[in-house]
Amino acid sequence: MALRRYTTTIDGTIPAEALLYSDEELIGSQDSVGIYDGPQKSPEHQDGIVYVTSHRLFYVDAKYPETRSFALDLAAITQTESFAGLFMSSPKVTIHISSEISLSTQEHPPADNDLGGFDTWECQVCAYRNPPGLSPAAARVCGLCGVPREAIPTTTPGSSSHTNTRRLSASLPSSGLASPSRPSGGSTPISQEQPDQPDPISCPACTFLNYPSLKRCEMCDTQLPRPSRGRKEMKSAPSSRPASPVQDGDPAFNFIRLSFRKGGDKVFYGYLKRALKSKVWEGRKYATNTQNLSGNSRPTRPQVGISGILNTVESSAQGREDNIKDALQDLEALMVKAKDMVRLAAELNEKLTAASTSQSRSVSPYPGSTSSTFSGTPLSSSTTLVSGSEPEEATFIRSSLSQLGLQLDNTPVTQDMMKDEHKWLDELARELAHILQGSRYDHAKKGMMRERGIIALDEAWGGWNRARGVALIPPSTFLQVLPLLPQYTEPSITQRKFASGFTVLHTPPYSRTAFGTRLSEFLVSNGPKTTMDIAIAEGLAIALVREMIEAGEQDGDFCRDDVGEAAISGGGSGTGVEVRWWPNVFAGYVWDVQVVGD
Amino acid sequence: MSLSPHTTPSGFLLPSIHSAPPFFTQQPNPATQAIVEEQWIRLLLSYARHRKLFTLRVDDSEDKGGEWDEVLRNERINRRIQSAYLSKLIAKLVEKNVAAYDPPRQTRSVLVYWRLPEEWAETLHQWADSTGQMNTILTFYEITDPPVPSPLSNVPLPLLRTAITILAKTNRAQIIAIPDGEGVRFFPSK
Repeated sequence: MALRRYTTTIDGTIPAEALLYSDEELIGSQDSVGIYDGPQKSPEHQDGIVYVTSHRLFYVDAKYPETRSFALDLAAITQTESFAGLFMSSPKVTIHISSEISLSTQEHPPADNDLGGFDTWECQVCAYRNPPGLSPAAARVCGLCGVPREAIPTTTPGSSSHTNTRRLSASLPSSGLASPSRPSGGSTPISQEQPDQPDPISCPACTFLNYPSLKRCEMCDTQLPRPSRGRKEMKSAPSSRPASPVQDGDPAFNFIRLSFRKGGDKVFYGYLKRALKSKVWEGRKYATNTQNLSGNSRPTRPQVGISGILNTVESSAQGREDNIKDALQDLEALMVKAKDMVRLAAELNEKLTAASTSQSRSVSPYPGSTSSTFSGTPLSSSTTLVSGSEPEEATFIRSSLSQLGLQLDNTPVTQDMMKDEHKWLDELARELAHILQGSRYDHAKKGMMRERGIIALDEAWGGWNRARGVALIPPSTFLQVLPLLPQYTEPSITQRKFASGFTVLHTPPYSRTAFGTRLSEFLVSNGPKTTMDIAIAEGLAIALVREMIEAGEQDGDFCRDDVGEAAISGGGSGTGVEVRWWPNVFAGYVWDVQVVGD
Repeated sequence: MSLSPHTTPSGFLLPSIHSAPPFFTQQPNPATQAIVEEQWIRLLLSYARHRKLFTLRVDDSEDKGGEWDEVLRNERINRRIQSAYLSKLIAKLVEKNVAAYDPPRQTRSVLVYWRLPEEWAETLHQWADSTGQMNTILTFYEITDPPVPSPLSNVPLPLLRTAITILAKTNRAQIIAIPDGEGVRFFPSK
């Protein structure tokens, strides 16, 4: 019976997607399908869902999915016919199955028995650990380097048929090859050799045991002594004296029919045709074929050799990039939400303030800054301020807002708040000044530059954006704001760029001239100093001090004494002796020797 | 910090700037460097005049105990000039026409013109005149190594030839080929 012979039982309770090999794709399905085994109805398979995938055909029985479901390899199908249906007869699709299952199909073991197919294995060439779950054709070669999988040496030839021995049966001479019996685990073993088979014909020239139906020897093409009914035979494995695979069965019954009780046959037949045409199970050209099969398939190239490795690297990099892009998009969405929340908080705050002022007409201790007073002061004081005049709910909301950090005082200045760009930049400068110098009234709040007179630009930018939290300021805008900064700062903070491009914000004592004068005096009174000494004396970073001194050197304030280079002893380049800085001893030097003689 | 002049064993009075360590370091600031170079050139020329040194080589900076040692090194402050720096100074000397590469087409050694070639020409003519050797043919050797020491003792030949060429232009000397090489005859100035 064709059905029994060529199909393997599957557990239909498992969803079809989970039954697939990892390189297999589900193409289509149709329910309410009955199966004819040959010309007769198969009574056990009368109502079920049929799936067609790139590799196989599944029948999952509706009533007894566990016992009556089966899978059929598409590779076994030789041809298909469609019957549109007539009167009471349902539309049918006839599937002819090759009676001589080719060697490659034999190597497609039933999925539930194939240890190799569902086990990781390590390639002997590149040591790549091939994942389980690939289709038999794909599992035969290493996924990374494309080298065929070696036979597992522990399996002795001729011993009870491990699937792995058959993997290289085409090239490995082995006495057991003549009758590679199927693993017995499947409920429907495909019998290869049956006791009533006629004896093979020995070739008169090469003594190869040919299948009786052959006219010519498979090996040497010599005329065989007893010509019988001919059928084209496939190649058999070269081995000591292997015989051709044996055939059986009546070709008249090597077909099954799918009867579409509720229609859907046209579409399904189309799927089937496409799956058959693309021959994905042969394990090559996935790309073009799968693209034909389904539109959403990814363009996979054969993962073979160095190009395969490169592809893997490329695709993983691509994946990472996609992930990052996704993450950034999420962040952007989050920022939009945060902005909404801040606006909501601001509105709420305004409303509350308006309500409370109209209610009590209480005068704020800071005239002209009502809202900022309420929201800007710490929680406790704001509660005491408003508790008398505001209802309890309002106080609660307000305190919740301030606990969330959504005080109006903290709301960053954004461009959409301002009408024109100048105003915007002005506001930004004011905000930055606040960040840098702290509140003028509240001395507990220290700005970034309260303790320091000079600060690197990146630090200022980073600190500002951290304080803003949302609607971050791009560096370009930051640079636009900087020229406005002196107007809003007291003492005025100005920008200074060193020769190396290093830019700082500084207070007047750190301007070029002030620093030069100060350092000159320091050097005159304390003698020459290294950069390190000066950095310690000034309490600044060494790199920063070096920049400042070199700027002073350009101005002619200082001159250098390269001890490492110019010393007679104890110096020498590379000894790490530092340059010592001198006040400019050359400027205004008068030749103080009257040369006598001559 | 207070710098003071210093007298060397050879009797040369070094300026106070020679005791400032930065003097031995090239200054990145071009304005400062210009001042330093000016001082160096002045120092080198006056020292050459003092010691009657005609040749300055880049290698002199490495040559401990050499004839230029007193200016190129300052043991008291543990400083010496680097050969790279000296090479730069030598180039500056040539640029200012107070030295000439000798031999030509290299930059490692120079003739220091602590007197300009024109001044040498005058000195030479005066010496010939004062020693009564006008219209006499003199060999170069007789000029550079006279029995009685003269200002021209040990003058290098290239410098002497340059001076004579200058005199020849004003018809006060004439180079004459003699069997042993070259000779010169001086004429009184008109």
